[in-house]
Amino acid sequence: MAKKYELNEIEVWDGNTAVSHALRQARIDVVAAYPITPSTPIVQNYSKFLADGYIDGEFIMVESEHSAMSGCVAAGAAGARTATATSSQGFALMVEVLYQASGMRIPVVLTVADRALAAPLNVNGDHSDMYLGRDAGWINLCAYNPQEAYDLTLMAFKIAEDLDVRLPAMVHQDGFICSHTAQNVRPLSDAEAAKFVGEYKPVNSMLDISNPVTHGVQTEEDWHFEHKARQHNDLMNSKNVIKRVFDEFKTLTNREYNLVDNYKLEDADIAIVAIGTTVESARIAADKLRDEGIKAGVLGIRVLRPFPFEEIVNALSNVKAIATMDRSAPGGTFGMLFNEISGAMIGSGKSPIILNYIYGLGGRDTTIEQLIEIYRQLDDCARSNQRKYPLQQFIGLRGPKLSFF
Amino acid sequence: MAKDIKDLGWNELIPGAALFSFSEPVEDVTEVAIDERPYSPTNSHEYSVGDWRVEKPVFNRDYCIDCQFCWVFCPDISIISRDKKMIGVDYEHCKGCGICVEVCPTNPKSLLMFPEHLENEEALAKWPAKEAKK
Amino acid sequence: MTKKIRNLKELSLSNDRYEGANLMCPGCAHNIIVREVLNATDDPVVVANATGCLEVCTAVYPKTSWDTSWIHIGFENAAVAIAAVQTTYETLKKQGRLPKAAQKLADEGRDIKFVAFGGDGGTYDIGFQSLSGAFERGHNFMYVCLDNEVYANTGGQRSSSTPIGASTTTSPAGAVSYGEKMMKKSIVEIMADHGAPYVAQVSPSKWKDMIKKVQKGYEAKGPVFINAMSACTTEWRFASEDTIAVSDLGVDSCMWPLYEIINERDEHGIIYRTKLNITYRPKNKIPVEEYLAAQPRFKHLFKPENRHIIDLLQKAVDIRWENLQRREEAGV
Ligand code: SF4
Ligand code: SF4
Repeated sequence: MAKKYELNEIEVWDGNTAVSHALRQARIDVVAAYPITPSTPIVQNYSKFLADGYIDGEFIMVESEHSAMSGCVAAGAAGARTATATSSQGFALMVEVLYQASGMRIPVVLTVADRALAAPLNVNGDHSDMYLGRDAGWINLCAYNPQEAYDLTLMAFKIAEDLDVRLPAMVHQDGFICSHTAQNVRPLSDAEAAKFVGEYKPVNSMLDISNPVTHGVQTEEDWHFEHKARQHNDLMNSKNVIKRVFDEFKTLTNREYNLVDNYKLEDADIAIVAIGTTVESARIAADKLRDEGIKAGVLGIRVLRPFPFEEIVNALSNVKAIATMDRSAPGGTFGMLFNEISGAMIGSGKSPIILNYIYGLGGRDTTIEQLIEIYRQLDDCARSNQRKYPLQQFIGLRGPKLSFF
Repeated sequence: MAKDIKDLGWNELIPGAALFSFSEPVEDVTEVAIDERPYSPTNSHEYSVGDWRVEKPVFNRDYCIDCQFCWVFCPDISIISRDKKMIGVDYEHCKGCGICVEVCPTNPKSLLMFPEHLENEEALAKWPAKEAKK
Repeated sequence: MTKKIRNLKELSLSNDRYEGANLMCPGCAHNIIVREVLNATDDPVVVANATGCLEVCTAVYPKTSWDTSWIHIGFENAAVAIAAVQTTYETLKKQGRLPKAAQKLADEGRDIKFVAFGGDGGTYDIGFQSLSGAFERGHNFMYVCLDNEVYANTGGQRSSSTPIGASTTTSPAGAVSYGEKMMKKSIVEIMADHGAPYVAQVSPSKWKDMIKKVQKGYEAKGPVFINAMSACTTEWRFASEDTIAVSDLGVDSCMWPLYEIINERDEHGIIYRTKLNITYRPKNKIPVEEYLAAQPRFKHLFKPENRHIIDLLQKAVDIRWENLQRREEAGV
């Protein structure tokens, strides 16, 4: 039996440490992992927990991220609770298997310390990896600080493994800015966490040899569409389970999570929509504008997939101008958030002014001043009811101003 | 009656497209002969590939020495053998490859290929005599 | 638990766990190999399969040809897949959480056997990293390579297992080419050099030799590699009834020598002895030419301008056969 880890009521943890404790407390049967900056400490901490007797399950230190995710999928099919961690290039190497995990309905939990994608090689935080995997059929939960990374990791197991969901889940945190920044974290005790996550309930386990099961079939044009439709339907409906688990977690900890994280949006005229640590910076910027009497708010995406269409529309329905902040090179079009938010608003008959800002690539700092400047542009648009700025602008970039449309 | 699997809509499918070999638990499948298993409708055993053949192997008990070469080398689990005895060919699963005939060591052979449409009785009536040693 | 198989009649008492009406070509050696591997034990078996002929022909929705649990994830990850399934078995067993039937058989000393099947593409090429990693980590499983020396599932492209001179769709013979230019990769030695306890080369046509090796593989503790010659009627272009005859020509010409490599380890895992045993010695070692002549993939080699490749192949086979015998004698 694993030893109990004595924790303080308040620990000073960075995001990686917080996540590794959540993984330890979730009593995972098989972790297959491969180290990569900046998520490496998760794998290292987990190894140390194992070495010190805090873990009952197995840890396979595989030879690549592709094998890490493959190992998780296979262990999951065999009836194990599984999880792993990665970033960036490692995430990219996993992509093939991300689709297999979701298509085979294996509830793997993947914790991602988000990082830029090469080339040029870069070890710092942006959301390129998150964006690369966003259509892989996974539940995507986004943390902005170590406490949330911890909480969401625990909740990810409960959501993913729910019998109505049975889909893999990612928990994102910003590489370095969150993963390596120590803050106060209030953990659950080992016993509370174990009780919250619950016993793993295997489904169609390969080791149930009296019911041999075939996993990972081929489906051609006569079946593939139906299976993908079923998968999409179940991902869309996982919203209800996510909400339920958020509620249960609130009852236990008094910490509240919602599909979208609204900050002063009730009366806002202008809003920034973002993911990650920038959400917290934007709140500070919004407050500064509010000091001047400008009604600014922030919408943080907590659940990127399934996309919280209704919640976003409700939260932004009276906002006049919106900045969608994408921390990933858009590769020849608008950023993902611009497209999704625009789609959501137009789809529900709203037509606010929506601008797209590309920021923070490769770990470039985004300052409060820059965010204030974005709000000023929004305010300008809102007051004049005119889009006075290009649809897409790069911010914090050296050289001539880069913008499109 | 349960719906035929090919009529199922997306909402009726097993998540992850998992398939099951049997329709009820089989504790130790190595103890259950192949024709006594509770096959699920999704087991390929329940299907036929007999129409792949142009020629079929016909078995002649008279010459068979039950060596089981045909059994071990048949790729398609189509040589029916029970208690060390060769019984015949499973024409639902036989693809007509002809391996069993090639490996049969008797003289004349106890398995020979005949046109698919020929009745087995007719084939047996045409069985060649023992070949002289070359 | 080792199954007693003294002769073919005893083997024929096996109840197959692989089903007919799969979609493999008539006469496919893959099927014969799979049957021999599964029938060599009565312990429960769980299978992982790399993408390839065997996978696409035995699990096309809504049909499965497997009466064992089976998983396919991708082309390049069968080794890690089976390793992870086996690791799950170990941890659930330790934690007392195995499903009932598996627990019951484990109590009788009939632990699940873990087998991965991959073609030469999934083994020598794209799956090699995963295979090497799983062998280095020492998981307890048997990897069976169904070696038909070509990407048959995708239409016959060369792999690093394709022998020199073979015409494939990406190394076609032509006016100025004799076909494949490279010698076949020596996968058996490569896998043995991972320190695996047991590595062997087999041909399904020599069923007794093969069953014995597979059984040794099941008994070994640690990763086991079996390289199985899988004569391919479609890509080697011989008639479907000749699968066994062509396989035998491979063995008897020593193009496909049957041997095993055993790494004996002490309790600390240090290899203190490596043994190589030739397990089949042709009474009459036939010229390679006879093996080549049986397969139209080598037809062009019989043209005068390509004859030197036949000589080259013969030379390579002779040198290898001699080296194997030398290693066997020297006990290394
Ligand atoms: S013809 Fe081929 S498939 Fe049919 S029984 Fe003989 S060996 Fe089996
Ligand atoms: S190979 Fe011929 S002799 Fe042997 S069992 Fe089959 S039919 Fe009988």
